[in-house]
Parts: sequence; structure tokens; C-alpha cells
Amino acid sequence: MTAFVGTTGRLALNSLYAVARVCVLVVDTLQWAFVAPLRGKGLRVRSTIEQFVEIGVNSLPIVLLITFLIGAIMAMQSSYQLARFGATRYIANLVGVAALRELAPLMTAILITGRSGSAITAEIGTMKVAEEIDALEVMGLNPTKFLVVPKFLAMMMAVPCVTVLAMLSMIIGGFALTTVVIGLDASMYIEQTAGALVPKDLVTGMVKSVFFALTISWVGVYRGFQVEGGAEGVGKRTTSSVVTSIFLIIIVDLIFTVLFYFV
Amino acid sequence: MNENATSEPIIQVRDLEVSYGDFKVLKGVSFDVMRGETFVILGGSGCGKSTLLRNLVGLMRPAAGRILINGQDFTAMSDNDRMEIRKRMGMCFQGSALFGSMTVGDNVALPLREHTKLEESTIDIMTKIKLELVGLGGFEGFMPSELSGGMKKRAGLARAMAMDPKMIFYDEPSAGLDPIVAAGLDMLIRKMQSTFNLTSIVVTHEMSSVELIADRVCFLKNGEVVAIGTREEIAASGHPFVQQFMARRPEDEGSDREDYLRSLTGA
Ligand SMILES: Nc1ncnc2c1ncn2[C@@H]1O[C@H](COP(=O)(O)OP(=O)(O)OP(=O)(O)O)[C@@H](O)[C@H]1O
Ligand SMILES: [Mg+2]
Repeated sequence: MTAFVGTTGRLALNSLYAVARVCVLVVDTLQWAFVAPLRGKGLRVRSTIEQFVEIGVNSLPIVLLITFLIGAIMAMQSSYQLARFGATRYIANLVGVAALRELAPLMTAILITGRSGSAITAEIGTMKVAEEIDALEVMGLNPTKFLVVPKFLAMMMAVPCVTVLAMLSMIIGGFALTTVVIGLDASMYIEQTAGALVPKDLVTGMVKSVFFALTISWVGVYRGFQVEGGAEGVGKRTTSSVVTSIFLIIIVDLIFTVLFYFV
Repeated sequence: MNENATSEPIIQVRDLEVSYGDFKVLKGVSFDVMRGETFVILGGSGCGKSTLLRNLVGLMRPAAGRILINGQDFTAMSDNDRMEIRKRMGMCFQGSALFGSMTVGDNVALPLREHTKLEESTIDIMTKIKLELVGLGGFEGFMPSELSGGMKKRAGLARAMAMDPKMIFYDEPSAGLDPIVAAGLDMLIRKMQSTFNLTSIVVTHEMSSVELIADRVCFLKNGEVVAIGTREEIAASGHPFVQQFMARRPEDEGSDREDYLRSLTGA
């Protein structure tokens, strides 16, 4: 019993401590991303653009391919149900709404976590192990400004941009399968899609994608700075970065889905 | 041996205590470093030398005690003031800590690009000069992973020298290098010292380095200073640990053969 209380207490304290650390990190990042540049302390624009290309542009092939395929799979699965009611034209509604509100933002976030969330943790962790972070500090260069802010800003821009394209790709995937395999009329599919989607669907997806981007960057950075020891420390934290990030993305997704259901 | 050394303290360490969690690494360390001298901190592996250095450059805050730099309390300073003092410091890390994602040239140029408003062409020239100085002329396009251990240490030194510091800290500059390369690095440390009138603080466990570079030596053991002074004073001090260290005698394993076997089997 006392052991149980002790373990629970320690767990609670540790979580509290982690939350406090993340808060410090968040405040520090926001400070260096938005307040410091106004005071003329500069922003690392080139590094931010490089990161944007790495996170956003370079992830496009895989994200677009996977969302296209998922669009097709979704069309096939819904056709299986809808055909029984002779309502195959509603495949377009189902694919369109699910893509915008849910699946395109979620798939994009999960894929970018795997590609770039892990890379952020590994890079920062490796730099920490090799004393490179210390070297930055000794040189009078702030690691947050130097390392974190470019990644953070790039992530905040890249994830929503990629998400929009992923939505499109998913709808095209559904369209391709429905017209080619199921043999529905192409113009009817387009009409049906246009009729089904409302601006709120897009807003829902975009709001989610912004919060997914926040989650991916902060989890990645936080886990990176947690690395201790050597190469095995980097591996361990990189794994836990991906796991934590995907878990939190699902939680955030749930919260916003419930929220948007009521508003 | 060093005509630049003065008797005016630039760094004053007072009763410095540092712990990792419950584990006390430094237990009240005090010493002065004079302007222009080469001060060597000597001690066994794991006795807290790197930890001491990390405190001196402000990477850690001590649990107790003070560090005065130019008479100002470095430990109680705001982060901004510390940043200003740090621009006058250079540090060579134990593992060189070059940025793996940048070329050697960019590594050296980084502090200049970030802290000065010099033209890129000027920075280029200064980078070349610094690399030339450490014997790495022509290597600016190489990645750190393409350099040998000794070359990495030299590149790290070039980077530490980029902002023309007044104080330079070396963490084990010659550890893990062959004796010839190690002696070459020691000579380089002396050259920097005399050319730029630097104050150098060198952490090492190599007696051979001490003979080549030290003006004064500080012996650390178990987080305490056991002896401090010039080489002659240290040699004459007669402290058993110092004698043992200089004679390279190992710790006593237990005199009795039986005891030794018992300690191995744990019986
Ligand atoms: N981050 C840390 N957390 C906990 N203990 C640490 C940490 N870093 C160092 N220590 C401990 O502090 C002690 C001193 O470490 P330090 O790195 O200062 O030794 P050192 O004298 O530089 O050794 P070496 O000559 O091997 O580099 C060691 O016993 C080490 O186990
Ligand atoms: Mg060390």
C-alpha cells in the first residue's frame, strides 16, 4: 500500500516536473521566435527555410502517396457498405468529409512525426551527447534561438501546408478508385464532393494541423534535450519521442473532434 | 618560464561545491588563476575536472561557493551579463565538440558571423588565419567527420580562438592522442599563450603536459585540492597522492595475495 502511494506520488511529481520543463521550453521558444526578433535580436531565416524544405517539401512524396492510397481504400470500403443501399454516389461525401476533418491532418502529422519529429530528437540528442550544445552556450549562442526556433517555425508552416495538399490527394485517391474501379461518373463525383464540403470542414482540419505541429515540434525538442549518456541514449529518446508524439496527437485529435462537434 | 604571467588574479574560485543529485563531486575547491599564466588542473579520471571547468565557464551553477572573474561575481550574474563575459572566453572540449553538420571553416566562422558585423570576405580571411595558426590551413572545406582526433582538437582550438579571447579553457587537450601529436598540441598551447598573451586553464591527467606547459599546477583528488603551486613546489610538497601520481604507481590492491583473491571472488 505504502509502496503504491509512493510510486503514484513519485509518478505525479515527475509528470508535474516534466510539464514544468515543457512550459519553460515553450515560453523560451515563443520568446525567441516572436518577441526577440521585434527587439532586433534577429531570426535565423536561412536555417528556418532549410528546415522547411526538409520537413515540408521533402516529405511530400511519401505523404501524398500514402494519403492518395488511403483515399482509395476509404472509397472501396465505403462502397462495400453503400452499394447495398444503392447509394454509391455518397462515397464522395464520405471520402471528402473524412479527408478534410480527420484523416488528412492525422496521417500527415503521423508521417511527419516519423520523418521529422524523430530527426529533431536525434539531432538535438546527438549534439547534446557530443557537447555541441555546451559549445554553443560557451560561444554565447543561445541553443533555443539557434536550434529550436528554426525547427519550430518550419514545423508550424510545413505541417498545415502539407496537410492541405494531403487533403487534396486523398480526395483524388477516392475519385480515382470510384471512377476507375467502381465505374461512377466522374462529373457526378466532383459535383457530389463540392456539395458535401463546407468551409468548416477545412477549418477543422487546419486547426488540428496547427496543434499537431505544436505537438510534434515540442515533443521532439523536449525529448532531444532529455538525452543523456551516449548513442544508446539518443536511440531510446528518439523512440520515445515518436511514441509520445503520436499518442499526444491522437489525444489532441480527440479533443478537437469533440470540440468541433459542438461548435 | 612564461614572462607574461602576472600576480594579478583574473579568476578567483572560493569554496566551490558541486553535486549531481546526492553525489557531491567538488567539496569546497578554492584557488586563484593569475592573468597571463598557464594554470594546469591535474587529477585522476572521474575526480571532477570537467565538472570544475563547466562551472568556470558557466555551463553549470554551483551548489555553493563563488567564482569571481575580473573581480565580478560570475555565479550570481544574470544570463545576459554572463553572455558578455563568455565572448571573452574560449573553450576546447574533451571531445572537440565541433558542429558535425558544418564544415571546419564554418565551425570557426560561426562565432564571427553571429557576434560581429564583419563582411563575409573578412570573416573568410580570419577563418583562414585561425586555421593556419593551428596548422590546419587548407582544411576549411572538410567536414569534422573527415578529420583525425588530433586534427579535431586543433580545429576546436581554432574555433575557441575565433573571437580573440582573453581566457582559454582546455579540457584534456592531449588525451587519446599519440605522444608526438600530444606534444605538438602542448606546443600549440604554449604558442597561443605567448603570442596572444592569454590566460590558459588546462585540465589534464598527463604529467608530460604539465612539464611542457604549466606555470602553476593544482592537484585535485576526490573533489578537493590536495596541492597547489609551481611544479617545483608541488614536487617538493611530499603529499603522498602527488608522489604516487607523479611516479605513476597504482592504488594498493591489498598487500595480501589471499585478500586480493578474496576481493576478486567476493567470498
Ligand atoms: N551528468 C552527470 N550526472 C551524474 N553524475 C555525473 C554527471 N557528469 C559527471 N558525473 C560524475 O561526476 C564525477 C566527475 O565527473 P567529471 O566528468 O567531472 O570527471 P573528470 O575528472 O573530467 O574525468 P575524466 O578525466 O575521465 O574526464 C564522475 O564520478 C561522474 O560519474
Ligand atoms: Mg573530463
